[in-house]
Amino acid sequence: MGEMASVDITEDEAQLYDRQIRLWGLESQKRLRKARVLVIGARGFGAEVFPRSEIGKNRAEASLERAQELNPMVEITADKEKIDDKPDSFFGNFDVVCATECTTAQFLHLDNVCRENNIKFFCGDVYGFFGYIFLDLQIQEFMEEVTTITNTHEPTGEPLAKKRKTEKTVQNTKGTETYVPLQDALDVDWTSESYAKRLKRMDPSYFVMKALLKFCDKKGRKPSPSEREKDIESLKEFVKEELTKQKIREDFVPELLLKDVFAEISPVCAIMGGITAQEIIKTVSQKERPHNNIFFFNPLKCIGYSACFGV
Amino acid sequence: MAASIAGVFENDLQQAINSSKVFVVGAGGIGCEILKNLVMSGFNDIEIIDLDTIDVSNLNRQFLFHKQHVGKSKAEVARESALSFNPTVNIKAYHDSTMSADYGVNFFKRFAVVMNALDNRMARNHVNRMCLAADVPLIESGTAGYEGQVELIKKQLTQCYECLPKAPQKTYPGCTIRNTPSEPIHCIVWSKHLFNQLFGENDPDMDVSPDTADPDAAGDAGMAALKGEANDQGNVTRVTTREWAVKSNYDPEKLFRKLFHDDIKYLLSMGNLWKNRTPPKPLVFGEVPDAVAGCSNETDAVLKDQKIWSVAECVEIFSSSCRNLYSQQQRLDLGDNLVWDKDDKDAMDFVASCANIRAYIFGIPQKSRFDIKSMAGNIIPAIATSNAIVAGLVVLKAFYVLRGQLENCQSVYLRNKPNHKNVQIVPEACLVEPNSKCYVCSPKHEVQLCVDVQSLTVKELEEQILKKGLHMVAPDVITATGTVILSSEEGETTDNYPKTLSQMGVVNGSILKADDFLQNYELNIVIVQRCLTRDGPLFEIIGSETAKPGSPEKLQPENGQTDDDDDVVHVIDGESTSNATSSIRKRKLET
Repeated sequence: MGEMASVDITEDEAQLYDRQIRLWGLESQKRLRKARVLVIGARGFGAEVFPRSEIGKNRAEASLERAQELNPMVEITADKEKIDDKPDSFFGNFDVVCATECTTAQFLHLDNVCRENNIKFFCGDVYGFFGYIFLDLQIQEFMEEVTTITNTHEPTGEPLAKKRKTEKTVQNTKGTETYVPLQDALDVDWTSESYAKRLKRMDPSYFVMKALLKFCDKKGRKPSPSEREKDIESLKEFVKEELTKQKIREDFVPELLLKDVFAEISPVCAIMGGITAQEIIKTVSQKERPHNNIFFFNPLKCIGYSACFGV
Repeated sequence: MAASIAGVFENDLQQAINSSKVFVVGAGGIGCEILKNLVMSGFNDIEIIDLDTIDVSNLNRQFLFHKQHVGKSKAEVARESALSFNPTVNIKAYHDSTMSADYGVNFFKRFAVVMNALDNRMARNHVNRMCLAADVPLIESGTAGYEGQVELIKKQLTQCYECLPKAPQKTYPGCTIRNTPSEPIHCIVWSKHLFNQLFGENDPDMDVSPDTADPDAAGDAGMAALKGEANDQGNVTRVTTREWAVKSNYDPEKLFRKLFHDDIKYLLSMGNLWKNRTPPKPLVFGEVPDAVAGCSNETDAVLKDQKIWSVAECVEIFSSSCRNLYSQQQRLDLGDNLVWDKDDKDAMDFVASCANIRAYIFGIPQKSRFDIKSMAGNIIPAIATSNAIVAGLVVLKAFYVLRGQLENCQSVYLRNKPNHKNVQIVPEACLVEPNSKCYVCSPKHEVQLCVDVQSLTVKELEEQILKKGLHMVAPDVITATGTVILSSEEGETTDNYPKTLSQMGVVNGSILKADDFLQNYELNIVIVQRCLTRDGPLFEIIGSETAKPGSPEKLQPENGQTDDDDDVVHVIDGESTSNATSSIRKRKLET
């Protein structure tokens, strides 16, 4: 491990810790190999999370590109209507559920079922160039590598302007993340003091997501290329409604963000698919800290970031 | 496909996609992903090039390739598979090297944008120069583990690929590892892969056996031997290294014979590989040298770990660590594997001894266990998700290029972990200006070459300096007085090869004019006489001087690795040294 400045660990403690880390590594590989993942929705985005995995094929052979040498057993359900027909007990067969192309009600229902059964839940979508995924991992424990940089001063009493030395240490640390249900993340009250403060430096993607969800719920479809002009107008309306309700200024969401939300653009599906696969792998292997709780890709700024909503 | 459906894209983008001719350089991990994205987005006119053929180890990650494609051209199969997504798209595939003279400036000028999907620096430098010469926008990208980066290279607008000195490579092509190692790190990577093949989780990407799909080996005795392995159904049954080891009960002597003797002989039978390289020498188990070449006599002062083992010692350590690891493995639950850990004594001993044995076989200097440990820790496996994400970003940037919105083509980085603002896909704030002293893209191309004119030969000038050091492919060199030192025409200047520079009239202060016709690249080389010392380097090139020595921004990260300090509190003194470094610091994002 690294050279720690002043922490005293006995030889035995160090060895025990070392072994625990190594054991964690071994356990994590095992978990990954046996993980059962359900992906709902197999168009654009869904197909990019674990592509080329074939239901019914010999699991040992079905090599999953995104999972490298680690092979979660993945079942892909293309038909989202069928999801409503499935009894809650069906989901108990899985460790992870990743849902796309659903209505808000379906997402909420799935999240509830997963919560009740200690199943890790992901949901999200790609709309044109814009994408988001929401994570509800309830309570997630993991090991992560933490890098600390410490300043070590020159001991000679030289003036501060002189170059200081730094030391980098990397250590495996255990961590926990707690997640809120989807309902809470969607029901944020932006007029409250803590949330109003956040608005100052906040990226508007959250409101784009909400407007798109509302659009799908009300129209029963995603924005359609053949209705491009009309659908953009509807979206602008939904955004306006939400911003007004939350007492946020009208221009908070740039109109440009609402223009390219049609179909599921392949490169963005690849980006969101890759990020989602990574998060699922992190979650199952319990290595590294997963995002908490919504990851957005904002195509105008070409930025991918996560933020926490509903706490 | 997206661009063929009205209303998906804005008009200008739709038209650009429908009408642009684009070039993808490389049909491997990233290349296949880019090709898929292009086809699904509706591009109609795509060209793709790759000199490699498909190997079994590629199937796991390069999803356009299937079992029946092994041995075939990557570019051609990628094309065929992509056509299955959209049969109407025009894709032209070249099974060739981009560095061949067939792909000159006029070839590159045909494209609206070029996208690199390469895994080695030589090719990247070459394409960089071609695109500068043709003035075609180039989108460069790379991944290393979970990290990646995408950047635009456009003449006079942005930094070119060679504007800043690069950190050493951290990923290596498979055939270098398996067939033709030339540096200690290649042997260390091979040994780590061997560990995994024998004791760890199986990964077809980490094959250690000779790579018969090596483009350098084309058409050889090795191929005939491979054909000879076919069973009566005409199928080649390959025994994996693991299966072989299990059958041999992990007997160290048997393993040694296979890895360090039989497999080496096999490589030797691939004669083409050794035309311009020192061939490896197979080792016999009982007959290895005892002495250590060039080791220090200060056995007391030197830490045990920092001693360089003799080959005989390596063999002993190989045998004992192998036995210990085998015992460890036997004690595991069914289905479990050992996980490589540099702090595990046997695992590290195994890798260090194997790496040194292999290095000895290939005439490469050996390293101490201490050095190997730190180098081994720096190796980064390829990860499929990073390739997918980066390829997505590449095509997004290509959209901007095709719409003429180059100002939206700032570099973008994929980080291993989100930064302290929880940003994982991190855009630069602005385009980075070219280095005004860059010896590739600035108007004045000049470098200083510190070298001993009394001993450096013309041949060394060509191979080590111009080709390896300065990445030229077919250089011509004349002196200020017009004496031709080197000609790219075959045979014209071979008489000069053994002559020293001073014998050719080159002295301290001479200015040589080097140019590469294919790359459309000229360079003035100012000679600085420096006597050769016993331990000193053969030469030193002093080129662009931007950063202060020792500052962290001096080495531009290769393959997508950003300096992981960039968003953590930075306590090195805060002077800005160049446009490049100050714009990296300016990366302050509001989310």
